[in-house]
Amino acid sequence: MSAEEEENAAELKIPDEFLKAKCLMNCEVSLILEHKYEQLQQMADDPMNQMSQVFEKSLQYVKRFSRYKNPDAVRQVREILSRYQLAEFELCVLGNLCPETVEEAIAMVPSIKVHSLSRLQLFMFLRGKGNEPPDFITRGRAHDDEAIEKMLNDLSLIKKFE
Amino acid sequence: MLLLWHQRKMYLKSNLSWNVLIPAESLDAGGLMLQKAIITRLMADFAAKKATKDLGYFLALSTVGKIGEGKVRKQSGDVIFPVDFSCITFKVLPGEILEGVVHKILKPGVFLRCGPVETIFLSHQKMDDYQFVPGENPYFMNGKSSKIEKGVVLRFLVIGEKFIEIEKDFRVVGSLEGDYLGPVS
Repeated sequence: MSAEEEENAAELKIPDEFLKAKCLMNCEVSLILEHKYEQLQQMADDPMNQMSQVFEKSLQYVKRFSRYKNPDAVRQVREILSRYQLAEFELCVLGNLCPETVEEAIAMVPSIKVHSLSRLQLFMFLRGKGNEPPDFITRGRAHDDEAIEKMLNDLSLIKKFE
Repeated sequence: MLLLWHQRKMYLKSNLSWNVLIPAESLDAGGLMLQKAIITRLMADFAAKKATKDLGYFLALSTVGKIGEGKVRKQSGDVIFPVDFSCITFKVLPGEILEGVVHKILKPGVFLRCGPVETIFLSHQKMDDYQFVPGENPYFMNGKSSKIEKGVVLRFLVIGEKFIEIEKDFRVVGSLEGDYLGPVS
C-alpha cells in the first residue's frame, strides 16, 4: 500500500464501493458509524447532543454483529460476494449471517436458488422463439451447490486471516 | 429486469434533498461559517427526524452535496437553503432474517431489540417447541435443552412490520419457525 493510500485508509475516505452500493452490511455500517462517532467527538462542543438515540443504538448493534472488523477484510467480503452476481439484499444477508453450509445459505437467502431457476426458464423461452439468449444468461449465475460452497469457503478464509 | 420481486433492503443508502432553515441571526458571517451553520442545522434536523415509513430509521448522514440558493422569508428574515445529501437508514422488511437480543420474557412470548428497533415480538406460538418456564427470572426452554432468556441472541424471521406514526417507531413481529433459526452461540 502506498503512503497516500495508507493515509486515506486512516482517514476512512468512503470507498467507491460504498458509494455505489445501495444496501450495506453490518460490518460496513460499523466502519461508517464508528468514523462518524470520532468526527462528532472532535467537532462538536457537546457531542452527546448531536448523537441521536437511533445513532447510539445502531452503533452498538452493528459493532456487536459485525463478523468482520478489519477495514481490509470488510472490503474483501464485498468484493468476493460481488463476483457471484447476487442481488444487493442477498449479498448483505450472506455477509451478515455468514452461513457455514450450503443448506444454511439457502435457508437464509432462499432466492439464490430461485434466481438460477428463473434465469433458466427465461433462457429456454428465448431459445424456443429462435432468439439468441442474452449475454447475461449464458455468462450464467451458476448458483448450484458447488458455487455456493466455494463462495462460503472464500468468506471463511477472510475470517481466518483477519 | 429479472428482479420482478420487491428489492428488500436492511441498511439503505439514499439520496435526499431537504430544506434547511437558517435563522436571521446566523447569517452575519458568510462563506465557510454559513456552510458550517447549514450543515450543523441539517444534522440537527436529521437527528430529530428519527424515522419515516418508507426509509426506516435515520442513522447518519454520509455525504453533503450541493447547497442551493437561499430563499429569504420576508417576515422573519430567515433563509431557507435546499440541501442535497446522502444518508444511511435502517429498515426491517418481511421475509428478512435478522439477529436480535432478547430483552423481555413473558408468557405469551419474547421481546427482542435489533439496532434502533426496540419492539420486536416473538409469539410463543411461533417459537417451535419452546415452553415457558415461570419464576423470578423466567425463560423458554425446548426439548433439546436450548434456553431462551434475557440477553440471548436469536436469529429470527421477520413476519411483519408496522410504522407507528405518532411515535415515529416500528413494531415488528417475528418467528422462529424455519431451519437455522433460534439461539445463536
